[in-house]
Amino acid sequence: MKNLIFIFRSAIDDFSRNKLRTFLTSLGILIGVFAVVVLIALGLGLKKYISDQFEAMGKNSLFLVPGRVLSGGSFTGGVSSIAGRFDDRDLQTLKKINNVIGVAPLAFKSTKIKGLLKEDFGDIMFSSETFSDIMGLEVDRGRFFDKSDVSKKAKVVVVGSKIAEDYYGSDEGAIGKKITIDDVKFTIIGVTKSKGGGGMGGFDYDSYLFAPYTTGFIFNPDKKFFRLSVKVENENYVSQVKEDIKKEFLKRHKDEEFSIVEPTELMSAITSIFSVLNLILVAIAAISLLVGGIGIMNIMYVTVSDRIKEIGIRRAIGARKSDILSQFLAEAVLLSSIGGILGLGFAYLSVLAVHNLFPAYIDLTSVVLALGISSAIGISFGVFPARKAANLEPVETIRYE
Amino acid sequence: MIKLVNVSKEYIIDSEYTFYALKKASLEIKEKEFVSIMGPSGSGKSTLMHIVGLLDKPTTGKVYVDNKEISRISDDDLSKLRNEFVGFVFQQFNLINKLTVLENVMLPSIYCRKELDFDPNDRAESILNDFGLSEKRNSYPNKLSGGQQQRVAITRALMMKPKLILADEPTGNLDSKTGHEIMMLLEKLNKEEKITVVLVTHEKDIAVYAKRIINIKDGEII
Repeated sequence: MKNLIFIFRSAIDDFSRNKLRTFLTSLGILIGVFAVVVLIALGLGLKKYISDQFEAMGKNSLFLVPGRVLSGGSFTGGVSSIAGRFDDRDLQTLKKINNVIGVAPLAFKSTKIKGLLKEDFGDIMFSSETFSDIMGLEVDRGRFFDKSDVSKKAKVVVVGSKIAEDYYGSDEGAIGKKITIDDVKFTIIGVTKSKGGGGMGGFDYDSYLFAPYTTGFIFNPDKKFFRLSVKVENENYVSQVKEDIKKEFLKRHKDEEFSIVEPTELMSAITSIFSVLNLILVAIAAISLLVGGIGIMNIMYVTVSDRIKEIGIRRAIGARKSDILSQFLAEAVLLSSIGGILGLGFAYLSVLAVHNLFPAYIDLTSVVLALGISSAIGISFGVFPARKAANLEPVETIRYE
Repeated sequence: MIKLVNVSKEYIIDSEYTFYALKKASLEIKEKEFVSIMGPSGSGKSTLMHIVGLLDKPTTGKVYVDNKEISRISDDDLSKLRNEFVGFVFQQFNLINKLTVLENVMLPSIYCRKELDFDPNDRAESILNDFGLSEKRNSYPNKLSGGQQQRVAITRALMMKPKLILADEPTGNLDSKTGHEIMMLLEKLNKEEKITVVLVTHEKDIAVYAKRIINIKDGEII
């Protein structure tokens, strides 16, 4: 024990005399640990971002899309339209299934939109009153359209916060105003709360307009839907409802014409793709750890040659081979741990810097991994020079000038 | 205490030529003796000292320490003997310059695995005090004069209460006045502390401090 304390103390003394060399030697490990930890943090952040997006939809929803989306739990491509789209009868079928408490069809329209300040092309989503609930959409001002708006085919519209800002200057300015969609006048009854983001497979809801699907039939005479969303009473019924829907839909459609997707299923498929990508990146970053380890080995060989006389003196006064071995090994481990700790520190600062933009975070596993790997590198790359030092013949080293 | 029987040390230079640093050397050093090994440079006296000091092993022949043959004992046990049984004093002082005087003196105790019957720090301070080096204890060796460095080296050699001190040309790097001071110190350790001293030198006036002189030439004891 006294030996170990002494070894570490004299190693630290040595490093403080050679600050630049110590820093440069641990730089390789520093960069390696930094890259690995930051990439893991970004991967974790991405996972969290995706799950947050899906979390908003709730675990008790199901989506019906035309064509095959998921097969065998993996993502096989974009939404296919081989089987066309769903129609009003499909919608009515869904409403009759047990434990279904809401159904939201979805139709899109991209057209000219005219507001107070601006006239431009925009996108409208036509759906039911359940839509806001299923998609986790919140209304900041005014209200979302309700059941009676849907049944009355009311010409009302809820706009995204960005639309309100662009076309009317502000949320308050937009409420109650008329907006012209493809020459049809609608009344703005609500503005959604900004969700931010978009990208990453989700919609940028802030830039959309939302109107009752029944009203949307004006633009959509075929009464076709691009997607049907189902809200189930609670998540325990989800798989049962999924079975029931399948049974009902197979009466009218072929198996490959539609897919029933659970958000959690979709999420795990997307997450697994990103996890693999992240793992590959981390593995590439880990190569720099290897290079760092070789740098340490190199310097330790130089150190051993520089200190042959010292090794001789220590051997003459009674140091065993194992004492010499542990002395040089301790120095190598300390060198790489310094790199590891600094790398972790820089990674923490970087993650902190991007935290407002992206929910990257460093978990305990990364910390343990970073410190564990860096000391393991110290041991595995330090052991060769240390063994060389320990196996020198005492008489050769004491004679060495 | 130490006995060498027919000890040879060979260095094979190439297939046709073998250099004999020592040729069938036999000698015995008894407890409390003060012996000089004298010979010109290249005579094999350093090789002899390295074998007596357990830093080197002979090619042939046997070495006995306290009647125990040491050719078959492990490297760890040899280290232990060097640590507890022998104290070295070298011509080049061989102090570690990045450690302080006190740390140098205490270094042997760091490598000792057994329970000590003294406090290393107290013992180091007390010997340094005896040698008039108290105020130098936190200095670094390269800031000291040659005589002071050699006295630090002797303090380090005494640290583990050795039975034997091996001094390899201890005055070689010192002026003659300081050299004689160091010799008087070794003589005193032999007389008063009853420590066996083996001195290696090529200088006649240094060798005479010993009670017995062993002459060596061309690897052979004369």
